[in-house]
Amino acid sequence: MTGLLLGRARAQWQLLAVLVAIVSLGATLLGTCALLVTRTADRALEVAASRSTAEDAQVTAYNVTVLGADAAGVAADTRDLLTSSLAPFEVRTDGRASSVLRALSKDSAGYLSAVQDLPASAELATGRWPSAPGEGVVLETTARQLGVTTGSRVRLGPELSRDPAPALTVTIVGVVRPLVGTGWDRDPLAGAGFDPAYRDTSSLRDSRAYGPFLVGWDDLLATGSTLDRLEITAVPDLSAPRLADLDAVTANVRTADRRLARVLGERVRIERVASQLPSVLQSSRHQQQVTNAAVLAVAVLGAVLTATALSLAGRLTTDLRAAESALLSSFGAGRGQLAGVAAIEAAALALLATALAIPASSLLHTALTHLPPLGGAGLASAPTITAAQVLTIAAGAAALAVMLIVSGLRAAPATDERTRRDLLARSGADILLVALAAGGWWQLRAQPTGDAGGPDVVRVLAPALLLIAGAALALRLAPPALALADRLARRANSLPLPLAAFEAARRPQATAAGLLVTLACASATFGIALDATWERSQRDQAALAVGTDLTLALTQPPTAGQGAAVAAATGGTVSPAVDRGVAVGQWLGGAGAAPRLVAVDTDRAGALLRGRLDNGRTWAQVGAKLAAPAGAEGLPLTGTPTLTGTASSGAHLSVTPELLLEDATGLRTTCATAPVTLDARPHRLGACVPPSGVRVIAVAVPVTGDAISWDATATSDIVITLTIPGTTPASAKWTATSAAPSAEQLTDPAVTTGRSGLRMTGTVQLGGPPEAARTLVATAFEDPGPVPVAVSAGFAHDLGVRVGGRLDLTIGLTAVPITVADLVPAVPSAPGGAALLADLDTLSRALAVRGDLGSPVDAWWVGDPVHTELTGLHLGTAVTRAGETDRLTAGPVPAGLPAVLRLLVPAAALLLLAGVLLHVTCDLQARALEVARLRGLGMTRREIRSTLLGQHMVVLLPLWAAGAAVGALSTWIVAPLLVRSETGAAPVPDVVPMWPWPAQAGLLTALLAAALIAVTSVVLVQSRRADAAHLRVAS
Amino acid sequence: MTLLTVRKITRTFGEKETAVHALQDVSFDVEAGTMVALVGRSGSGKTTLLNVIGGLDRPDTGTVHVDGVEVTALDEDGLSLLRREKVSYVFQTFGLIPVLSAAENVGAPLRLARTPAAERERRVALLLDLVGLGDHAGQRPGELSGGQQQRVAIARALAASPRLLIADEPTGQLDADTGRSVMALLRGVVESEGVTALISTHDPIMMALADRVIRINDGRITE
Ligand SMILES: Nc1ncnc2c1ncn2[C@@H]1O[C@H](COP(=O)(O)OP(=O)(O)OP(=O)(O)O)[C@@H](O)[C@H]1O
Ligand SMILES: [Mg+2]
Repeated sequence: MTGLLLGRARAQWQLLAVLVAIVSLGATLLGTCALLVTRTADRALEVAASRSTAEDAQVTAYNVTVLGADAAGVAADTRDLLTSSLAPFEVRTDGRASSVLRALSKDSAGYLSAVQDLPASAELATGRWPSAPGEGVVLETTARQLGVTTGSRVRLGPELSRDPAPALTVTIVGVVRPLVGTGWDRDPLAGAGFDPAYRDTSSLRDSRAYGPFLVGWDDLLATGSTLDRLEITAVPDLSAPRLADLDAVTANVRTADRRLARVLGERVRIERVASQLPSVLQSSRHQQQVTNAAVLAVAVLGAVLTATALSLAGRLTTDLRAAESALLSSFGAGRGQLAGVAAIEAAALALLATALAIPASSLLHTALTHLPPLGGAGLASAPTITAAQVLTIAAGAAALAVMLIVSGLRAAPATDERTRRDLLARSGADILLVALAAGGWWQLRAQPTGDAGGPDVVRVLAPALLLIAGAALALRLAPPALALADRLARRANSLPLPLAAFEAARRPQATAAGLLVTLACASATFGIALDATWERSQRDQAALAVGTDLTLALTQPPTAGQGAAVAAATGGTVSPAVDRGVAVGQWLGGAGAAPRLVAVDTDRAGALLRGRLDNGRTWAQVGAKLAAPAGAEGLPLTGTPTLTGTASSGAHLSVTPELLLEDATGLRTTCATAPVTLDARPHRLGACVPPSGVRVIAVAVPVTGDAISWDATATSDIVITLTIPGTTPASAKWTATSAAPSAEQLTDPAVTTGRSGLRMTGTVQLGGPPEAARTLVATAFEDPGPVPVAVSAGFAHDLGVRVGGRLDLTIGLTAVPITVADLVPAVPSAPGGAALLADLDTLSRALAVRGDLGSPVDAWWVGDPVHTELTGLHLGTAVTRAGETDRLTAGPVPAGLPAVLRLLVPAAALLLLAGVLLHVTCDLQARALEVARLRGLGMTRREIRSTLLGQHMVVLLPLWAAGAAVGALSTWIVAPLLVRSETGAAPVPDVVPMWPWPAQAGLLTALLAAALIAVTSVVLVQSRRADAAHLRVAS
Repeated sequence: MTLLTVRKITRTFGEKETAVHALQDVSFDVEAGTMVALVGRSGSGKTTLLNVIGGLDRPDTGTVHVDGVEVTALDEDGLSLLRREKVSYVFQTFGLIPVLSAAENVGAPLRLARTPAAERERRVALLLDLVGLGDHAGQRPGELSGGQQQRVAIARALAASPRLLIADEPTGQLDADTGRSVMALLRGVVESEGVTALISTHDPIMMALADRVIRINDGRITE
């Protein structure tokens, strides 16, 4: 037996080499995919974790109300708990604590605070940092309000709580400015330094609060002060994490809250541990599963291709060995014995292929991780061999070897009976395949999120099923087409090409070869198209999610002149922007998400807004439907304005004027001033010292005073003159209104512009509802009426509105009427949900005429920026579309998909070529005698060549085209369902199937050229060999 | 008129010790319209000689003229043309194209000659009738008996109206009775089509049917 095997191996080594090569190729592909979904996937999670921001990684414990005696203990225990929860990572902890209020004077209070790394969250204006007990620094605003400077000593009286700690004195050694984005939002007064009416958890009534008085951390804990808040933040160093540690930390952080409660017990009133880390890691894992499903789908496709190539090889092997088998049978070797020989041979083959595929897949994987996109994502790795990889390869090689035996056994000599049975079986298999593919497709459509625990089976199998079913159906079209060619050939006069057609049409078709060609062509084109579709979708998602090229989310309201700074720093089209949740009438939004209002300067929508629109519309077209009619001219403001007012009938009234200012970039800011008495004397509005280029475009004067009371019956005519330095005679028409609520409490509002400013008049009803606004509003523009908005498809669906519909939008506390001017699939920066897009100018006017002069602006949007590095501005966090695109297409977690697709295409091409070569070689070898006979008939070599070439091309060409068609069809049907967002949900905007023509044309041409070269070279060799020598061989 | 002239043909296979002198100084002439039987033991050089005459093989020395054309001086294309127009073969193993029906096999040489379809069909029908297979025109070689296949092969050999028909043991694979009827057929077509036939055979009946018998022994003519 072994003698036979070895002898045969020596004689047929070329054939065996081809078989080993095919099995090795398949096993290598599987092994590489195994490494991608295990090693690289794990590594990707680690890299993603290492790239997480401190904000995402940090764990913060909040403790509320800690008695002075417990403070140090609670701080230490909290710190220990956080540090141990984050073990084994290096942890940097920070603390921030504030005491309860202490009396400063009769009706004012102050509080102590400590920030552990104070120089990192504030900068010194004057003086130095506190270094000894009893030393402290204050914010600039506090210092100004209290009139303290370095060297001042401030006495903080006993605490206002029930169990007060004694008074103490703080020596001010410095004045500081808070730095943006360093946690001042969690200061009791949010870093404002002063609040006219504040109460904390310990106080019973509002008082004027000043603070913080920033002392040393240990100093604060030692004073015995009751801590209103004690907050410890731990930031793990995730620069080189191991996945197992990340998982352990996730679990620990999840339970940290409960454990902290147990550790601290009664020592604190409330404690809570908050962290984004578990959800950030979880969403990475989720995204990883989405990627893995796609990688596995490609692995299945590769395996199917290999199996097809192998079944072809198996059939050819059996054909070649038919005579030998018959001889062995005639010597009395049983079927079982023959199968045994085949099994031993297959086992040897599988072993050899496994031995080759293990190093090959390791090397291929390494090469792949060094190329983009994996290399760029920081996933480059040295060659490794893992258990999962070896097991996959061994199992894959074994399965393929079994396939080889089975396909060999099946290919017994063809009889009519057998062909009919085969045909029936094939029809059954085709129907089953189509049914399975349809089922898979339906499942994909019905369950777009695929929220299963592991990689979704449907998602993994659907592409392969669809491609096989398509290829099988396409093959069914081949016989009728060839029959047609046969009919045409019968009528022709010549021999070479008609003979080619006869040969192609009448020889029993090599199903395996046809399937391989079609499937390989379909897989390769599908691979390229899926790659392009996926990439395009990620780009679209990034564009819509960011909404523009660069957003700068502000941590504090913008100040006049900021637009110029942002424009200078970015060099792009800059617009102030609003992106916030709103209420529409009574509706607060579905599924826990408020409808989002996005407002920018829609005059420049084309340059600003990004995200795919439908029907070839552009954002400029949408913006044109929303843009404000004309700019508001307003009054230039070059110095400090003064306000003079009188109230008739001797009423004691005062006003708290607010000015709406617009700078050169269109940014509107408000300046609110202290109350001004209407006493006929001029009052300088000191808070409104403008930067240059600012214009006043609206003024609101709410009237208050002792004279106003519920039961008063009198009215008072007020006259208010706002002198604005630098005002030239303005032709601009101003409009005056009385703001809601109870607008009737201020009647006859009027405004006139004069040489020196504005003169506003009105009549105040001193009686009536106390909550009435009694606000006289003068604007440099008219009420814009309902604000035109473009609403998202989600919004239109949820509220059932159409173009022309009218609604009320509640922004903050002000209701603004809107009218639906357009429908868009999604609003930039608010993908998927209910959202509205409005013009910021119009929106701001609508708010202003309703007396709401507060700026709604919370971000800067920049189109086509030249520079994107804005940390130097200290305004907030910048997000760029390019960065987001990069994260979605080339981030460590998603990069596996394009990488594996880049593997599929060459693998499919190689298998196709191997299959064609194998098929043509075997076919021509088997027909050497026939070729010699044709020579005998007087056919020239050239004629024989064209017959052979024509015969193979007439089969190959349609299959090649059918493969491309199946690939295209699959792209349209299934690629959009395979592309997912990073959460695994259906992407927004919808996925557009992409068919990159240049790449596809290149690929198809290359495949065809390679096949052509392969066929031609075999034909050339074969036709040269055909000579008289063959004629002596008996058939 | 002499149709075939063979002069001083030598053909040796292999070199030195292993050299086989398949043909040694073979010369003879064949008159047009005769049926010549080539007879000799197995290995005597019959096939080699027929191959050389038909241009499927080249001699080491010597010349062959068929119908005035020097076969031994022709290039590849010339040989192809010769086979299309002047010389045709009937092989021991029939040599039919498996995917073509009997009629299409017979029509193949006519297609090579680019005969118009209608004329081709007429001639094919005529030839199939001649060999007695008019009712089997649509059958493929696999569906015909050995004798029937050889009749088809003969019809095909006659299709392009060759001057010389070469048949290498045309009855070798057939039983005696069938072989005899094929021989009779050959004899008949030589008369009716006016071709010259050169037929190698072991069959005494064939020798009896032939106009002339050429004997070959160890590569030499012993007539
Ligand atoms: N291609 C070849 N290479 C080597 N020797 C050859 C070759 N062809 C023929 N011979 C040898 O030349 C001699 C003549 O062979 P040939 O086939 O012509 O004999 P034959 O008379 O046709 O025999 P048979 O009646 O068995 O067909 C034989 O000895 C044979 O071995
Ligand atoms: Mg012979």
